[in-house]
Amino acid sequence: MLGALASRFGAAAATAVLSTAAVFLLIRAVPGDVVGEMLGQSAGDPAAEEALRAFFGLDRPLWRQYLGWAADALRGDLGASWRQGLPVAGIVGEAFLVTLQIGLATLALALLAGVPLGIVAGVRQGRWPDLAVEAFSLVALSAPVFWTGMVLLIAAGAWLGWSPPLVYAGPGEDLSDNLESIALPVLALGLLQAAAYAQFARQQTARVMRQDFVRAAVARGLPPRAVYGRHLLRNVAIPLVTFAGVILVQILGGVVVVETLFAIPGLGRTLLAAIQARDYPVLQGALLLAVLVALLVNLLVDLLYAAIDPRVRGA
Amino acid sequence: MWTLAISRRAALLGTAGLLAAPGLPHAQEAPPDVYGPADPQARRGGTLTVAIANEPPNLDPFHQAGDARTAVTVLMYQGLMYEHPSGDARPLLAESMQASPDGLTYTFRLRRNVRFHTGQPMTAADVKYSYDYIRDSSNGSPGATDFAAIAETAAPDDHTVVIRLSRPNASLPMTLTNRYGCVVPRDTFARPDARARLSQQSVGTGPFRLAEFRPQSHIRMARFPQYWEEGQPYLDGILFSVQPNAASLLVAVRNRRADVALLARPQDAEQLRDVQGLTIGTAPSLRQCALDLDSGHAQLRDVRVRRAIALAIDKRAVMQASIGGHGAVLGTTVAAMQESWGAPFDELPTQRPDRARALLAEAGLGDGFPLDLVGIIGFEWMDPAAVTIAQQLQRVGIRLNIQRVELGVWLNAFRTRNMRFTFNDWGTQPDPHILYYRHFRSPPQGADFRNWANADADRLLDRGMEASDPAERRRAYVELQKLMSDTVPTIMLFSPNLVTVTQSRVRNYAQHPTGWWFGLARTWIAA
Repeated sequence: MLGALASRFGAAAATAVLSTAAVFLLIRAVPGDVVGEMLGQSAGDPAAEEALRAFFGLDRPLWRQYLGWAADALRGDLGASWRQGLPVAGIVGEAFLVTLQIGLATLALALLAGVPLGIVAGVRQGRWPDLAVEAFSLVALSAPVFWTGMVLLIAAGAWLGWSPPLVYAGPGEDLSDNLESIALPVLALGLLQAAAYAQFARQQTARVMRQDFVRAAVARGLPPRAVYGRHLLRNVAIPLVTFAGVILVQILGGVVVVETLFAIPGLGRTLLAAIQARDYPVLQGALLLAVLVALLVNLLVDLLYAAIDPRVRGA
Repeated sequence: MWTLAISRRAALLGTAGLLAAPGLPHAQEAPPDVYGPADPQARRGGTLTVAIANEPPNLDPFHQAGDARTAVTVLMYQGLMYEHPSGDARPLLAESMQASPDGLTYTFRLRRNVRFHTGQPMTAADVKYSYDYIRDSSNGSPGATDFAAIAETAAPDDHTVVIRLSRPNASLPMTLTNRYGCVVPRDTFARPDARARLSQQSVGTGPFRLAEFRPQSHIRMARFPQYWEEGQPYLDGILFSVQPNAASLLVAVRNRRADVALLARPQDAEQLRDVQGLTIGTAPSLRQCALDLDSGHAQLRDVRVRRAIALAIDKRAVMQASIGGHGAVLGTTVAAMQESWGAPFDELPTQRPDRARALLAEAGLGDGFPLDLVGIIGFEWMDPAAVTIAQQLQRVGIRLNIQRVELGVWLNAFRTRNMRFTFNDWGTQPDPHILYYRHFRSPPQGADFRNWANADADRLLDRGMEASDPAERRRAYVELQKLMSDTVPTIMLFSPNLVTVTQSRVRNYAQHPTGWWFGLARTWIAA
C-alpha cells in the first residue's frame, strides 16, 4: 500500500513538472503578451515596449524564465499577478475556494438527484420510471450549460422577479448572499451532472442486476431491501465513487462557463482573465493548482475505492 | 433623456478660447462646471451600484491603456485639464492656462486647495514629477507617445507649472486631460511595489478614492472627504460590479440590482423599453467601429483595391445588422466629433458597386479574388458585420473569408503593424490630433499602424497639430479626411450610441461621450 502510494506521488510530481513546463512554453508560444495588453491601441513607442518587457523579465531567455519561476514555486512563492500585483497564491487560492464550493455543491446535487434516479431506472428498466429518467438525461445532457444557465437566469428574473446578487459574497462574508449567488450556477451545472450521473448509475445498476448473485438473492426470496441494500448498492457504489472523482474534475474544468455567465470570481474566470491579459504568473499558478487538484482527487478516489472494496486493499 | 448635441460653433469657440491665437496670450478662469452642472437640490449620501461589462485589468493610470481602466480611474485621478464634452479642454487641477505667442510655452496656475488621497497637498513639483514620469519612455507608459510633445517641464513656484514644447502642439491641453494626464504625488513610483499598490490604494486627487478592488468581481469607491470642489461629490460611495455577460447585466438592471449601466450592446435598450422606472439615455460617442486596411499587405497594396472595397460597402446596412441601427454612420471621423471636425458627408464618396467593379477590373482583378477579413473574438458586433460585408463584397467579386482571433493575438498584429484586412473598435478623446496623429502619422513621430506611408497625410497631420488658428486646424483635418477617404487606410463604419440605463432614484447623471464615468461625480440618489 505504502509503495503504491509512493509511486503514485512520484508519478504525480512528474506530471506536475511536465505539465507546468508545457504550460509555460505553450502560453508563451501564443502571439501577444502582457505588454501588448497594457499598451493596447496606445502602442507605438518602441522604447516604452522595451521598458515594459524588461520590467516583466520577458527579455530573458525562456529557460531562465522557467527555472526562475520553478525555483520560486518550489519555495512556495508563485510570484505576483502582472495585472494587479497581488500575490498569485492568494488570488488563485481564493478563486479556487469559490470554485470548490460550487464544485462540491454541484457534486452533491448530482449525487443526490442522479444516483437515486439512475438506480430506480436501472431496477425498473424499460418501464415508465426508466423512460422518464432517460428523457430527462437526454434533454439535460444535450443542453449546453451556457444555455441552461441563461434560461434559468432569465426565467428566474421574469417569473420570480429575482436575480442573483450583483456582487458575489463568500460563505464567510454573508451566507444568505452566498447561497443566492451560487444557486443558479449550481443548478445549471448540477442538472447536467445529475443527468450524467443518472445515466451512469442506471448502467451500473443494470449491469449488477444481471449478475448471478443478485438473481440468486432474488431467487432465494430475500426481501427487496436486502437485495438492493446489501447486494446491489455495495456493488454499484464502487464505480459511482470513481465516477464522483471524474465528475468533480469535470465540474472544476467546466465551471468557467457558469462563472462568466453569473459573474462568479472563481478559478475558471480568473484563468480566463489571465489568459486574455497574458498574465503568465497567475496562469501558471492557476494551472499548477488545477493539476495538483486533479492529481489529488484521483488519489482520493483510489483511497476511497480501497476503503469500499476489500479486494483493492491488498493490492 | 439626455441627448448630447455638440454645436460646431460652441466647439470651435471653446477651442479658440482655450488655445488662443498666438500673439494673444490670455488667461482663462476655470468654469465651475467640469463633469456637468452641480445640482442645488441634490441629496447627499448613499452608495450607487453600477454594472460594468468590462473589468479593468488594473487601476494604474500610468501603465494601463484601455477604456475599461480609464472609465473608472477618471473618478480617482485628475489631470490638469478636463476633456469637456463640447470638445475643448478646460482647466481641472489647473486654475488657468496661458499659452505663449509662439505656442511653445504653456503656463499653468494650479488650484491651491487640492489634496491627494494620501492627504498631502498637491504642488507644482507633483505635476512636474507626474508628467516627467509619463514622457520618459523607459517608464513604459502608454501615454509616452502623446507626451513626447513636451520638451521640458518646470515648477518655478509651488503653484505654477511651465511646459515647453519642441514644436507647437495645439492639442497639448487635451493631452493633459484624464486618460494619461493624471497627477500623482511626487516619487509615487520610487517604491518598488508602487504599481501593484495602485490596485489597492488610490493616490489621485479625484472626488472618489479606491476602497476595494476585487478582481473578477467588483470595485468599491468611497467619497474623498478632502476633495477640493466644495460640497462634492454627493454620493458616499460607488460600487462597480463586473457583469461580463450582456444577459446578466440586463437581468440585473431589470431587477433593480444595478442603479446604472452602460449597455455593451446598444440594441439591448429595446429589451428594457417596457420596464417601469427605468430611464434610457442615448448619447453620441467618440468610439468607432471600423475596417482597417493595411497598405503593406500584398492584396491591399494597390490603392484601387482599397478604394473598390470602400465603394462596395453600405455602412448603414452594416450598422443595421451589427447594432440594430443604434448608432451613427460615419464619414471619416467619430460621431461626437462630426459636427466640429468632420469632413461634410456630401464631400465624401458614397457606395458605388459599379465603380468598385470598374476599379477592380482596372487593377487586373476583374475575375474577383479571395480575401481574409479578421474579426476579434468577444466583440459581438463584428460577427454580423462580417457576414453583411461578405455579402456586399461578393457583389463586386471579392470572396471574403472570415477569421476570428483572440484580442491578445489581434493586438500583437496591430502593434507590429501587421493588420492586414481587419475590424477595429477604438475610441478617442474629443480632439482630432489625438484621434489621428499616432494612428496615421509615419514613424518616428507616429506609429502608422496601417502602413499608409502617405507624405501628404504627414504634412496635414503636422499642420493640424501646429496650427493655432482653429479655422486653419479644421481645414487641415478636413483635407486629411478627404485624403483618407480617397486612399482608404481605414473605413470608419459607425459609432455605436452610448446607451445608459438608470433607475428612477438616480439623479443628475450625464453621460460623457468618451463612455467614461465622469458623470458619477455629479450624480445623487433620491430618497
